[in-house]
Amino acid sequence: MSSIVWYLWIGAGIWGIGLYGFMRGPELLRRIISLNLMGAGVFMVMVALAARTEPTDGVLHALVLTGLVVAVSATAFALALLARLLAAKP
Amino acid sequence: MSGDFWFDTILGLVLLTLALATVRAQQLAAAVMIFVVFGLILAVAWARLGAADLALAEAAIGAGLTGALLFSALARQAKAESAPVSKSSSRSSWLVLLLSLMLTGILCFSLWWVPLQPEHHLMPLALEHLANSGTEHPVTAVLLNFRAWDTLLELIVLLLALMGARLVSSPMLQTPQRWPLASQWSKRLAPLLILVAFFVLWRGATAPGGAFQAGALLAAAAVVLRLNHQLPPLHWRYGWVRLIVLSGVLAFVVAGIASALLQYQPALLIHWLEWPLWLAKPLILFIELCATLAIGLTLTLLVVGEPEELSS
Amino acid sequence: MNYALAAVLLPLLAALLALGWRRYAAWVSWGGTILSLLCAIVALQQVLSDGPQQMLLGNWPTGLAIRWQLSELTALLLLLTTVIHSLVASYSLTSLRRLQVAADFWPLSSLLQMSLSALWLSTDLFNWYVTLELLGLVAVAMVTLSGNKSVAAALRYLLLSLAGSLCYLLGVALLYGQFGVLDVAELATRMPASESHMTTFALVLMTAGLMLKGALWPLHLWLPAAHAVAPAPVSALLSALVVKGPLFILWMLWSQLATVELSHAAAGFFLFAGSMALLTGGWSALRTPYAKVMVAYSTVAQLGYALLAIGLALRSADPAFQLALWLFIIAHALAKTSAFLAVGEMQHSLGGKRVQMLKGASQTMPVAMFALAVAGGSLIGLPPSGGFLAKWQLLLPLWPEWQLWLWLLVIFLGTLLSAAYVFRLVVLAFDRADPVKPDFAPQLLPQWLALVPALLVWGLAFGSHSFVHWLGG
Repeated sequence: MSSIVWYLWIGAGIWGIGLYGFMRGPELLRRIISLNLMGAGVFMVMVALAARTEPTDGVLHALVLTGLVVAVSATAFALALLARLLAAKP
Repeated sequence: MSGDFWFDTILGLVLLTLALATVRAQQLAAAVMIFVVFGLILAVAWARLGAADLALAEAAIGAGLTGALLFSALARQAKAESAPVSKSSSRSSWLVLLLSLMLTGILCFSLWWVPLQPEHHLMPLALEHLANSGTEHPVTAVLLNFRAWDTLLELIVLLLALMGARLVSSPMLQTPQRWPLASQWSKRLAPLLILVAFFVLWRGATAPGGAFQAGALLAAAAVVLRLNHQLPPLHWRYGWVRLIVLSGVLAFVVAGIASALLQYQPALLIHWLEWPLWLAKPLILFIELCATLAIGLTLTLLVVGEPEELSS
Repeated sequence: MNYALAAVLLPLLAALLALGWRRYAAWVSWGGTILSLLCAIVALQQVLSDGPQQMLLGNWPTGLAIRWQLSELTALLLLLTTVIHSLVASYSLTSLRRLQVAADFWPLSSLLQMSLSALWLSTDLFNWYVTLELLGLVAVAMVTLSGNKSVAAALRYLLLSLAGSLCYLLGVALLYGQFGVLDVAELATRMPASESHMTTFALVLMTAGLMLKGALWPLHLWLPAAHAVAPAPVSALLSALVVKGPLFILWMLWSQLATVELSHAAAGFFLFAGSMALLTGGWSALRTPYAKVMVAYSTVAQLGYALLAIGLALRSADPAFQLALWLFIIAHALAKTSAFLAVGEMQHSLGGKRVQMLKGASQTMPVAMFALAVAGGSLIGLPPSGGFLAKWQLLLPLWPEWQLWLWLLVIFLGTLLSAAYVFRLVVLAFDRADPVKPDFAPQLLPQWLALVPALLVWGLAFGSHSFVHWLGG
């Protein structure tokens, strides 16, 4: 078994754990962290796919970089919403 | 068994364990901390897979900034949601576990079929056109030239996150009192971070690095200064704050329109975001510089922006 | 193509200007929308005269560049987006002063228009991911314009939307891993020839993500709360346009990338999901006590027709089903805009969220009530409205084939349900014995503006011939 497949599976595992955490919760903050795990899993798969060739696939790397920024933006917004939700609770 | 094999095996197992621990940790605080560690180890794995750019970005953005955001969320959480949430029934919890296991299993099974020597991918095409892209680093070329439209939209996503956060901004927690040692530290650390940020930006033209990593570093410097009360408030109602936040998208749009006008020929189709060959390098540098500043300020406001700063 | 580009860029420029120059945000954003409407009209005309066009962004070769495709269909969707945005923006100019955060509505609305236009034009799997993410974030930000009461629904919407995007992105990663391209047209030349477990699973993942984002049954549960709590113009945009974006990508994926056997299998699922959406959505709309929730559930039900059309179009070569799909999307967008604006207007003037507030509305707010009834007519599918045209296209090919009569029955039941919930409103409105007194004097101009899209959807009948022609029916 090559290390590429191993890292692909690790990515799949991280994605699955993130999915489990997202559905299970129960706290909203944990769901947000789990979403980030899901994202990390997808990016891991993409990075491992990029490593199959020599030189590594820069196009996939660029896509992951775009995805990372999108993920952190969405997380920031979700956390702002969560803060407002908690502040509104008596 | 070679050392590489054991390294990969252990790294992978550690990643899985940390991910599982994040999800299963009893305390949210523990979950957040484990998640940040997970992000750092993930960066190591990516560096191992030949993605130095991404390792840098993951450490700065994925672990660093997301971690900072999560910690500040945690501080609120401690007050509001400390009461135990009603546990969901064990049956639905089993169902969730079963579903995730099943999907992960199918995913692993399908990944087994991925060709390890892909017949076709886009990198050769990218390398072929790299010479005309105005930058020597393929990742930067993809981000700012070949697929610049994605990057422009992504900057808008970042802008939107700030607009959304402004709309729902809620009272901040009190930042702690000045701590002399921390103040001294931040005075020294911040200029260094800013210097490193611009180095990373400059290097991005030829080697790993670029606007996003640089922006994240810049934001880190600003956050450190801010937490030590060494930075004046950045009010959204100030024109210059808005201008810098918008500058990334603006630079892109202005560069796009200017290029279209420079190359305009009545009979031909305009190609959006086509940089003229002789202008490509300065244009990309200009966009990257504006984007770095915009990303830095936007992330700073997202992490430490106070409601009175964000409101208009 | 240049005009299509302008139709994307004008709202973006307007949004930037509106953010920087806040005092004139409303006028800048409105102006950008109206100008982009003109551009979209010219773009459609050009496509009709010169045929489909494409643009490689950055003028790089296919594969490396993101490709934009302006076909009859995408030009029409672009036009639909700008028309709805122009109508909603005009309505908002007259009525948004009531809202406290009005200044923030304008840049968001312009960005929404831009991201949708970019989505229609794109043919790139990853670019679609970015536009979907953009669309989701704008939509959630706009829901939060309602303030505190909207935060819970908005957060739920955001989290589910993000989970959907990540499923979609994983599918994209798998497909790129297998075929090494992101352009749909290039993928279509490689993919159906070499089907594997992996491509199937990738398509399933992408479908699940898109169904979650598009609120398609059974992943629709977030929609009623989010759409009902938003301010009226926002609800109109969300229901009319935003949920159609994922639907469009779903159709592009299944119609172009899947093998015949696989798409037949998927068609069965889409038919089932569509039927369930129609029946459960219609039933919930009938039962809910709140007016806006009812209109939101009606969106769930109407998306069921679109799913049915997708399922039937995947099974059969008859182009009528495809035509029905796009007619449904157009007719529903116009009718739903009218319905949400009218209900929002009445909710504001009459006070209250319950359906009961409409008691005697035909007397107190006749124009808004008329708009709601006319839009409802199209939702039911009364001739000669746009809704009727779409349903007719769906029914005609079903009629001769008795194996397909089950779907005929489903459509009949769905129609009965929608007729029931529309008549529930109309009957209440004509109960003039003891009408609900308005809290504020009803304004006439916003009510008339709410009526315009409903009249347009009835006017579709006059253009039906050209629609059939344009969409290749």
